[in-house]
Formats: sequence, C-alpha cells, structure tokens
Amino acid sequence: MKLLPELLVVDDNPADVALVSEALAGGLRHTKINSVGDGVEAMAFLNRREKYANSLRPDLVLLDLNLPKKDGLAVLAAMKANPDLRRIPVVIFSTSQLRKDVVRSYEVGANCYVRKPGNLNEFFAAVKSVEEFWFNFVNLPPRGE
Amino acid sequence: MKSTGTAAAAETEALPTSATKLRALLLEDNPLDAALVVRALFKGGFEVAADVVQDEAAFTKALRTHPPEVVLADYNLPSWKGMEAIKLLRAEGSDIPIIVVSGALGDVAAVECIRQGATDYVLKDGLTRLPEVVRRALREKKERNLRRQAEQDLARKVDELARSNADLEQFAYVASHDLQEPLRMVTAYTQLLAERYAGKLDANADKYIGYASEGAQRMQVLIQDLLAFSRVGRNGFTHGNVDCNSVLEEVLTSLAPAMQECGAVVTHDALPSVWADRTQVAQIFQNLIGNAIKFRGQEPPVIAVRAEPADPCWRFSVSDNGIGIAPEYAETIFVVFQRLHARTEYPGNGIGLAICKKIIEHNGGRIWVEPQAGSGSNFKFTLPGHGPDPADGARS
Repeated sequence: MKLLPELLVVDDNPADVALVSEALAGGLRHTKINSVGDGVEAMAFLNRREKYANSLRPDLVLLDLNLPKKDGLAVLAAMKANPDLRRIPVVIFSTSQLRKDVVRSYEVGANCYVRKPGNLNEFFAAVKSVEEFWFNFVNLPPRGE
Repeated sequence: MKSTGTAAAAETEALPTSATKLRALLLEDNPLDAALVVRALFKGGFEVAADVVQDEAAFTKALRTHPPEVVLADYNLPSWKGMEAIKLLRAEGSDIPIIVVSGALGDVAAVECIRQGATDYVLKDGLTRLPEVVRRALREKKERNLRRQAEQDLARKVDELARSNADLEQFAYVASHDLQEPLRMVTAYTQLLAERYAGKLDANADKYIGYASEGAQRMQVLIQDLLAFSRVGRNGFTHGNVDCNSVLEEVLTSLAPAMQECGAVVTHDALPSVWADRTQVAQIFQNLIGNAIKFRGQEPPVIAVRAEPADPCWRFSVSDNGIGIAPEYAETIFVVFQRLHARTEYPGNGIGLAICKKIIEHNGGRIWVEPQAGSGSNFKFTLPGHGPDPADGARS
C-alpha cells in the first residue's frame, strides 16, 4: 500500500505555512503537511528527537531561508552532512531574490530554489507545482525508517 | 662647513624692517660666493638661515635634519654636480624649489637643469635678481600646494559622494527586499479574502477588499521596479563587447507578440558593438522600443533604430511616430516613477526610462530625447564603443 506523501514545511511565518496548507488542501495527493518554525526545531524533527520521536521522515522539505535560531542554509548544510538525511530532497522556498542566496543554496545542495510569489494565485500554483513534480513525476528515494 | 647668514650679514647692515625668514640650503664650495648669495638675499628682504654644504653626503643629511624652503645649488662643484642635486631632490619626489646659482651657465646646461626639475637659474654676476627669483619660487610652491590641497579635497569629496551613493543603493535594495515579505502577506491574504468572501459580506466590504488588494498589488510592482532600478548600480554585471545586432534581434523576438498586435514595424541599420553588459543593453532596447509600441498614435508604430559613430562612443537613436513628448517633459520623463499619463490610459509605473538612464550613465554615456518633426519622439543615447584602453590607448 502506498503511503501518503509527507512534506515538512520549515517556516517561521504562520501566514505562509497556512498558505501552503491552503494551496494543497483538497488536492488529490492528500499530502501530509508537518511544519516547524525554526531551524533547531527542523533538525529535531528530522532527527526524530524528543517530541518528534514518533514522527516520520519527510519525503520532501520545503525550507525557508530566513529562520530564527538556525537559518535555512545551516539546516540545509546539516542535512547534507548527515547520511540519514542527505537523500531527502530540499526545496528552498524564500522571498529572497538575492543572487547570493540563490547561489549559496545550490552550492550547499538545495534541489531547487523556488521564489515565494507575491500574488496569491501564483503562490498556490508554485506550491501545487512543487507537490505535483516531486510527488508525481519524481522517483523519490525510499523513506528512511 | 656651516655658517649662519644672518650673523654674517648683520655685521655690516641693519635688517630691512619686514624681513622674511628663509631656511635655505646652499650647495656651494666657495665660502665667499656663499656669503655673497646670503647677502643678496638679505638685501632683498630675507632673513636667511642657511646650511652651506658641498657634497652629496652633507646635502642629503641637511635635507633630512633642516628641511629647507629653498635649495640654491652651484652648478660646478669639485666633488659633486649641481645637476645631481636636482636629480636627487626630484627623484625623492621633493617639491622644494631648487635654483641653480652659477658663475657661468650655457644655454644647453640651463635648459637641461630646468628639464631635470630646477625651478630657475641665476648667474653669480646677476645676484640682485636672486631675491625675486626666490620669492617667485616660494609663491609658486605655495600655489602648487594650495592646488594640490584643493585637488585632494575634491578627490575626498568625490570619494565620499560615491560612498554615500553606494550606501543609498544598498539601503534602497535592502529596504525594498525586506518590504517584500510583509507586503506579500498583505497581498496574499487580501486576495484570499476577496476570493473566499466575495458576495458573502455586504457590497461595501467587497469594494474595500478590492481597493486593499489592488493597492497591495500595485505596491508590490513598485517594489519590484525599485529593486530592478537599484540593481542597475550593483555589481554582478559583466562588461564585454556586445553586438547590438544580436541583442536587438532577441529583443524584437521577445516583443513580437506586442508588435503583431498593433502592426508595429521596426527598421534598423547595421548596428555596432558596444562595451557594456549584454543584459543591460537588451534592457535599454527593450524599454525604448517597448515604450514606442505602448505610446503609439492612431497609426501602427513605425520605429527606427539607428547608430552613428561619436568617437569614442556610438550614438544610437530610437525614433517612432507615436504620441510624442512635449518639450517641457524632456527631463522629467527620466526620473523614477514619473508618469505623464493616467494609469488607466497607459499602464506602467514610470520606471523604464529611469532604468535606461541609470544603465547608460553607469556606462559613461547619456540619454536624451529630441523633438521630432511631425509627431513621435526620438530618443538618443550614447554607449562606449570599447573598454578601457590598455596602456597606450590603442583602439580596436
């Protein structure tokens, strides 16, 4: 039986987390969304520590760059340095259009960099495309236990 | 050997009332000649404190220990040459006036002394001329110093201006970048409200949400434009030889749908290569031709792109048969967010020409609009034909 896809949203802005949920709500894929609000929480979730001991490894991480405590690039770097986490694809999802943010993200190992669109419909379209692409067309690695 | 001129001179004559103190270094092997020089200066109103030396070692030592206001050098010395003193002084980058004082000095030697950096020369039998020569040398040095000071002040101000401009750029960029995040939330959620609750509240509510949503979206476009504008001045653009023909071709391809819609025709000369960033050159053509299409009259737009040499630049022109620009707006159209028409008449934020101007000026060129006979407008701009010349200014 095919399990529902698991998406981890790492974003400190509840408004954006809500928009991501809105975008995927009622979709055909029934993607399960978990969210954490900072980089330290993100690492705890991914490493299934403490209150996240029973959570599943996500199939995809939607990662904001500007995060409290541990920023997005540091989370990305920590994931890519960890043999258990490095195979999980990471989509950077940020308002930043700074060249250096884009370049650094790919250098550190982001699978793609998606700019958060300003327009609601484009925002929804972007999130839906990410879901459609990664959970329909892509062969994902087997989920870690 | 060392003597103090004031002491020697004061024995015979009283000091003129308003004597000017003068620290002089005399390169002279003959004590009598040295005394005559000091005396001539004294009579000309100088109270001289002089070091008298006759070889290189003593000369360099005196330069260090008692920096003189003026050097008076004999041309012929037994152990050293006055010419060498000139060369030595100038090689050190010293600005101290050096006057050659010689018993006899041929034209060739005199010219050579001046060529090597001597300020002037005085023959020993014409010493009465010396005070005036010294006075002029001192005056000229002072003027040089003032000029240099003024140049340094100017350079510092230019520097400060460049830095404050850079700060402003950085500020505009960061501000507009950081404004995007909260604005995005306003835009997204007013849109969401509009979609979810349209018709469910009263008619006023729909209208108000519509206004808020519209305002937020417009501000978003403004911020995008501001970002694009401030990005022009930032690093990250690569200069090289840009073939304007291929750039124009690409621009016309991207404008093709808009051109087809109104039947626009663009003609162009064979265009040259310019030294600039390719993307930025494309942006100039895109904005100017885009404007020519947007601000068209009744007739389908006829747009001509031309270029003529204006060494070391190329002068381009983009002319059209559109609605034209009244002469009184010839300057304001290049200012950020300046628009001449209501948003409902012609869409846009008034950033296109401001970006063109900024790109062009960053490349050392300029842009202006010329009155066009009949109707339409004629934009002209210059761009350098080649990059900074290597060494001797060889041009390709």
